[in-house]
Amino acid sequence: MSLNLYYSFREGIVGLRRARMATMITISTIVVTMILLGIFLILTVNVQSITKQFRDRVSLEMFIDNSLSPEKIRELRKSLSDLDGIEEVVFISQQEARERFRQDLGEEFLNLLGETPLPPSFQIKLSPGNQSPENIAGVVSRIEELEGVDEVVYQEKLFRFVDRYSRIVFLLDGVIFLTVLLSAVLLVSNTLRLTILSQSRNIQIMELVGATKRLIRRPYLIQGILQGGIGGGIGSIVVWIFVKAVTIRFPSVLKVTPFMILFPFGLSLLLGYLGGTVGIKRFLRAS
Amino acid sequence: MIRLSNVWYMIGGNAILSEISLYVGAGEFVCIVGPSGAGKSTILRLVHMEIVPTRGKVVVADYDADKIKGEEIPVFRRKIGVVFQDFKLLEDRDVYENVAFALWATGVPRRRIKKRVFRILADVGLSHKRYSMIQELSGGEQQRVAIARALANEPFVLLADEPTGNLDPETTDEILELMKRINGKGMAILMATHKEDLVRRLPAKLVHIDTGRILE
Repeated sequence: MSLNLYYSFREGIVGLRRARMATMITISTIVVTMILLGIFLILTVNVQSITKQFRDRVSLEMFIDNSLSPEKIRELRKSLSDLDGIEEVVFISQQEARERFRQDLGEEFLNLLGETPLPPSFQIKLSPGNQSPENIAGVVSRIEELEGVDEVVYQEKLFRFVDRYSRIVFLLDGVIFLTVLLSAVLLVSNTLRLTILSQSRNIQIMELVGATKRLIRRPYLIQGILQGGIGGGIGSIVVWIFVKAVTIRFPSVLKVTPFMILFPFGLSLLLGYLGGTVGIKRFLRAS
Repeated sequence: MIRLSNVWYMIGGNAILSEISLYVGAGEFVCIVGPSGAGKSTILRLVHMEIVPTRGKVVVADYDADKIKGEEIPVFRRKIGVVFQDFKLLEDRDVYENVAFALWATGVPRRRIKKRVFRILADVGLSHKRYSMIQELSGGEQQRVAIARALANEPFVLLADEPTGNLDPETTDEILELMKRINGKGMAILMATHKEDLVRRLPAKLVHIDTGRILE
């Protein structure tokens, strides 16, 4: 390690020890903010995922003429797949429809009817971005133009309900998350400035004796990264404990990736670096 | 070495300095004498290139205040030692660290820092106090530490802004004696003070200033 880097580290650590109170306040602020942010990120991702799953589940059912030949059915399937806005097409034969019917309503009911009450059909999954009621209406009218199509059925009211509320949830959740993120950035950068402020005399003296701006800046960047790392590290550990506690009580409720756990740590490292850079800039006189 | 030619320094239309012309040659001892608010510290700040003149020319060694680039200023300041009335020391560190700080901040290699700090502390008579905390020192000793720090980078000139302003008469004599010795070794000194009676005892050229003008 070069001398300057060694001294920068030493100065950075010594500075934190000397400005103990400011350092404690900064790290505690980062810990609390990162716990909130980490938990909120997990909740946000899960809410978005549930909303998406719900939207994805909505599909169209297209019944076809019972007398269509297998060749015609294949052609129809191809025509459907080629249409814009359709992601997946699944053919349900009359036998499969019967089996589903039996599972849903029971053997006795089926025997009572005698023959299969449902014609063959296609289950059509719409591609993302085409699940709005307006788009669905367009897709349905294009499907209805195809030869051999008997009827297209979908739950329009449900579509409209899901569309409306998923948008609201998405927007509300997004706005809250961005607000929490912005508050975290401001809070962390301001408290980092506290530590720097408590050492402003050192900065003034360094300038007087002819230290370069880079050299003046470095210990404070190291301080910022250290405070961010410690605060974010503790935050990530607490978030991990929270996730463990929830999953022990309610298994498979939360979807959590390592990224979500490490997000508070990574973000506060970055904020520490940026906070240190911005904080010190204000003290360095333009010369 | 230090040359101010017809320098004006204005703030919001008010002239803080007017028509200042001053020369400090190598190894010279120059005292700027005048009452508080006369503009003495402003001249030192111009020489230290903390501020730039509104009009006129300030040239220190090879550096012209009009032409110096931002990144050259730290290098320039290493060639100039500065001491202040309020010492500007790091009070939470000991004597050794205060002097070593200046050397670290200017990128001096580690093995040379210790040797040089010990030598400078011996020069200013503080070897025995090198591990004392700043608060444990008297005013005179604190000013010696500030002088030691100013000399750490072996500057060609020492700027002293009221270096005895906070000191009692006995300690003032000690500090002036120390400055005389430093000047005797060939270092130029530009000192600002309001105590004319004290500097008359020094082998220094006196420049009188009042209301921002040099008096004839």
